[in-house]
Amino acid sequence: MKDYSFEEPFEKYPLAMAYVPWQHFTQMYENLEKGYRAGTIFPELDKPFTGRRCIK
Amino acid sequence: MWNYEKRLQFPINIKEPNAKLAQVIISQYGGPDGEMGASMRYLSQRYSMPYKEVAGLLTDIGTEELGHLEMVATIVHQLTRNLSMEEIEKSGFANYYVDHTIGVWPQAAGGVPFNACEFQVKGDIITDLHEDMAAEQKARSTYDNILRLIKDPDICEPIKFLRAREVVHYQRFGEALRITQDHLNSKNFYAFNPGFDRCESCDN
Amino acid sequence: MNSEEKKLHDIGIADFVLTDLMLYLDTHPSDQKAMEYFNHYARIKTQMEREFARDHYPLRKDLAESNRDWRWGSAPLPWEGGCN
Repeated sequence: MKDYSFEEPFEKYPLAMAYVPWQHFTQMYENLEKGYRAGTIFPELDKPFTGRRCIK
Repeated sequence: MWNYEKRLQFPINIKEPNAKLAQVIISQYGGPDGEMGASMRYLSQRYSMPYKEVAGLLTDIGTEELGHLEMVATIVHQLTRNLSMEEIEKSGFANYYVDHTIGVWPQAAGGVPFNACEFQVKGDIITDLHEDMAAEQKARSTYDNILRLIKDPDICEPIKFLRAREVVHYQRFGEALRITQDHLNSKNFYAFNPGFDRCESCDN
Repeated sequence: MNSEEKKLHDIGIADFVLTDLMLYLDTHPSDQKAMEYFNHYARIKTQMEREFARDHYPLRKDLAESNRDWRWGSAPLPWEGGCN
C-alpha cells in the first residue's frame, strides 16, 4: 500500500476542518461570450465534464 | 425583497420535444439536489448567519438559484409543450400527464414530490456551510449524470452552464468557510456556536 | 439572431459578468481590480437595458414607464424562448 504522508504547506492548517484555496483575481476570459457559455468568467474555475462510460 | 427580470439567465431554445429527457431533467426542478431545494436552503439559512459577508453571499447565491429554477422549468416546458398524444403514451409520460397535463410541477425524476427534508437549516455556520458545499457537489453530479443522457446541443448548452455554476458556488462557499474560520479560534473551531452562544464559555 | 435577440443576448452576457463578479466580491470586498470591472459592466448593462426598453420592451418594472399602453404585461415570456 502506498504510504500517504503529506508534508505540504497546507499541513500547517488546524486539523478536523475543510479548506478551499483562496481565489486571487488574475484575469477574466477576454472573450466574454466564451465565459458566458462556459458558465464562468474565471478561466481557473472553468472545469467542464468530459466523462463517458464506454461500456457497450 | 425581490425584483423580476423578464429574461432567462442563459438562453434556452429547444426545438425537438423529448418527454423522456423532461422526466429526468425535472429532478433539477423539484428533486433531492434540485434548484428549488438549493434556493430555499440558502435563503433560509441566512437568518442565523452571524457574519454579514456570509449572509450576503447566501442571499446572492440563493437568488441566482431562483434564476436556475426558472431555467430548468423552461427546459422541461420546452421539451413537453409540443408533445403529441402518441408521444405522451409511448414515452412513459402518461403517469405525469394524468396529474399535471403539461404543467411544470416540482418532483424528482422518480416521481417523488419536492420535499423540504432534502435540505437543512442547522443554525450553525460551520455545519450549514459544509451542507452548502456538499449540496453544490450533489447538484454537479446530477448534471454530470444528465449530460451523459443528452445529445441535443439545444439542451446540452444550458445544462453545461448550470453545472459550471455549481463549481463556482462551491468555491464561494469554500471561501465563506475560510472567512468563518478567520472569525473563530483556530485552536478549537468547535468551542461554541457564534450564531447562538453569546459568550465563549461560562467563565466569561 | 435578429437585432432584438442579439441585444438581449448581450444584456445576458453583461449581467452574467456582473453576477460572477458579485459573488467574487462578496468574499473579496477589497479587490479593487474586480471592483473596477464590476463598475464598468454595471454601467454598460444599465445603458443597454434602457435602450432595449425604448426599442423593444422593458425587462424590469422600473423600465416600464410609458405614455401609451402598459408594455410590461405584453412583453414576451422568457420560457417560450425565441428571444433570448
